[in-house]
Amino acid sequence: MSYTKEQIANLVDGKLDWETTFRMLSMPKDQGRFAKYLAALQARVNYADKIVLPLSLHMNIVQRAGDKRWVIKCDCGHEFCDHNENWKLHAAIYVRDTEEAMTDVYPKLMAPDTQWQVYREYYCPKCGTMHDVEAPTPWYPVIHDFEPDIEAFYRDWVNLPVPERA
Amino acid sequence: METHTNSVQVMGIDAGGTMTDTFFVRADGRFVVGKAQSNPADESLAIYNSSVDALAHWSRGVDDVYPELVTCVYSGTAMLNRILMRKGLRVGLICNRGFEQIHSMGRALQSYLGYALEDRIHLNTHRYDEPLVPVSRTRGVTERTDVQGKVVIPLREDEVRQATRELLEEGAQAIVICLLQSHKNETSEQQARDIAKAELAKLGVEIPVFASVDYYPSRKESHRMNTTILEAYGAEPSRQTLKLVNDRFKKHGAKFDLRVMATHGGTISWKAKELARTIVSGPIGGVIGSKLLGEALGDENIACSDIGGTSFDVALITKGSFAIKSDPDMARLVLSLPLVAMDSVGAGAGSFVRLDPYSKSIKLGPDSAGYRVGTCWPDSGLDTVTVSDCHVVLGYLNPDNFLGGAIKLDVERARQHIKAQIADPLGLSVEDAAAGVIELLDLTLSEYLRANISAKGYNPAEFTCFSYGGAGPVHTYGYTEGVGFKDVVVPAWAAGFSAFGCACADFEYRYDKSVDLGVAQFASDDQKAAACKTLQEAWAELALKVIDEFVINGFKPEDVMLIPGYKMQYMGQLNDLEIVSPVTSAQTAADWDQIVEAFENTYGRVYASSARSPELGFSITGAILRGTVATQKPVLPEDPDAGPTPPAEAKLGARPFYRHKKWVDATLWKMEALKAGNHIVGPSIIESDATTFVVPDGFETTIDKHRLFHLKEVK
Repeated sequence: MSYTKEQIANLVDGKLDWETTFRMLSMPKDQGRFAKYLAALQARVNYADKIVLPLSLHMNIVQRAGDKRWVIKCDCGHEFCDHNENWKLHAAIYVRDTEEAMTDVYPKLMAPDTQWQVYREYYCPKCGTMHDVEAPTPWYPVIHDFEPDIEAFYRDWVNLPVPERA
Repeated sequence: METHTNSVQVMGIDAGGTMTDTFFVRADGRFVVGKAQSNPADESLAIYNSSVDALAHWSRGVDDVYPELVTCVYSGTAMLNRILMRKGLRVGLICNRGFEQIHSMGRALQSYLGYALEDRIHLNTHRYDEPLVPVSRTRGVTERTDVQGKVVIPLREDEVRQATRELLEEGAQAIVICLLQSHKNETSEQQARDIAKAELAKLGVEIPVFASVDYYPSRKESHRMNTTILEAYGAEPSRQTLKLVNDRFKKHGAKFDLRVMATHGGTISWKAKELARTIVSGPIGGVIGSKLLGEALGDENIACSDIGGTSFDVALITKGSFAIKSDPDMARLVLSLPLVAMDSVGAGAGSFVRLDPYSKSIKLGPDSAGYRVGTCWPDSGLDTVTVSDCHVVLGYLNPDNFLGGAIKLDVERARQHIKAQIADPLGLSVEDAAAGVIELLDLTLSEYLRANISAKGYNPAEFTCFSYGGAGPVHTYGYTEGVGFKDVVVPAWAAGFSAFGCACADFEYRYDKSVDLGVAQFASDDQKAAACKTLQEAWAELALKVIDEFVINGFKPEDVMLIPGYKMQYMGQLNDLEIVSPVTSAQTAADWDQIVEAFENTYGRVYASSARSPELGFSITGAILRGTVATQKPVLPEDPDAGPTPPAEAKLGARPFYRHKKWVDATLWKMEALKAGNHIVGPSIIESDATTFVVPDGFETTIDKHRLFHLKEVK
């Protein structure tokens, strides 16, 4: 079982029909999906750097064109940091820790008590895309949620050569 | 007398998604099965074509036979498809203020209903279907009735008028009213219904108004709301479909009144008020047919197994009756309709076969090729192997006689696909790979069947297994082997068995109503009599509805036989049992004691005598009333015994057949030419147009006077 590049592109855009989506979800992963998926993502960004691994909807780990360093990049081209750092520490951060800030997003009395829980929103400093929202207790450290073992993933899971890294 | 005994009396129709089967029975018990491609645009045409196909066996025509028919029962998927395709009326909904989103949100389980287990536990696949009524056509009105049925906030009448007008402006073609707890106290809902009707009349608009209490006064708010909406949404358009069918019959001279198979296992008129319960009917036919055959054979415990292209359905008949589920789900909606209880697993003859790329294990389904059979049919456009491909390669199926030769199958094409997709990756020969698939399917089905029986506390040795469905007889030996049934029966008309079963069903209406009665074990006579009074009132209310339905069809109230029943449980337990009432009316403490005794006997039989817990007291959760009138049913054929040796003309030759790692020559027999009493030893394959009955080595079969094959393992 495998899908066309077009179907994967539609999947990325959220335009794939439900029947195909459901089959994709139910069946074992098809052959060569990751390569097609990367190609679809690559076609949607304007930078020349090669995508190594998507991190979230608008953020990828890329191989920087000039020196092959692996860095975390926003779709707009803004570079956050090295791939194994926590990009959130390089983002613009907005913390909702007052009742007033909470009522921006929830009706009154239907938001968390900010003594117990705050929202931390992480934005791209260049284009303003919201990349993530955390909902921790107020004192909790910034969460580093994803530290992928990229070499192992390429080598053992998708059987592809590991992209070069400076 | 010749013309009389040969007149065709009964017709059954099973209009499935891909094929429309018809089944005709003569007064002497002879029958024919017809098949035609289904035609969703005009079902009546498919039925006509299928009838022509069937009656050709008797060299008779439709115009000649339809006028002779005494009775005809339809079952089909028209209603179901209408719901699945969301092609119903534009319904407007009036509910309690603050609950406008409830129908759209639905019950969480509706997001995974109908899924295979793997998908059910895989949250990402869960998905909510489009609601039957959008929020934009839903209006809330201020009212509240509490759980005890007390009106705590009276209905604001002006809001109902306003809502009615707004829904009309939104283009509503029908209005459904469903208020909280209306099954406990119908006052507010009826009030809202009358106001809405009056408002419509004032506006000079004629659209139907459906109040849930008038249709399905049962507890469980989502179920009741869904069912009432279903009635408004799909029933009227379905009635049009049935009218087309009925009109075509009349055009060809038919005199009978068309009946429709309903979920509760009886048939109802196409003119019936409640048509939502015809949403699923085909598979139920098989259970009804099994019950009738069981009565003829003296078997009161039957495991009904139906294997078609996409699924394997199992139902149990115990002590001569089938179980009813009162809150089933259909079309991914939870409903409050009585449904003949059936369990299904998504594995059938058309199931796709794939190798898991990681574990290298064979996986069957859950999707299937449906009418496209498999890669063995070059026109199918398929390139994934199906179970049927394996059958063709191993000699189970005759590639030149599939569906009576309607399509030709390409064995070599199937071989190549099996080789590339299954055999080579596993390092097996094509035969062993294909045999592995069949073995896996047989094992899956027999485990499912065994589990279904033992999980309910029964022993397979007390059951006769009936095997039918288009693909049933191919697999019968496989899924019954080693289960230890008392007897295994394959009817010669297995392919048309559901249509046959529909024709066997009673003309029966059934109405249900939730009641809440709790009586302690040693309650006073007054308390018992009071409980009887409540139950009797519910029966009386239901009796009016049942009789009304029959009056529509021109019966007199005194022609109707009423059968009261109830749902009872030990107080505080969660599952109730449905009991046919031992008393025709409930009045006195003595009546109550009989009601309790009947429940306790059933409980002891279903679970165990020692599990009975009368000290908890007794609850009645629902009143049931069934009403029937006499109808003509199919007569079973009665053939003289022709001895164990099959006639020479029945023998068609031999075909190589692969099982247990070797090719053998299986003797081929023509099913129609076999006579009562004939005994056939495996390896044999008995063929007819619509079905293939496989009797491998280690098995033997005898055909009885009713043209039922009994399959036995030879020790």
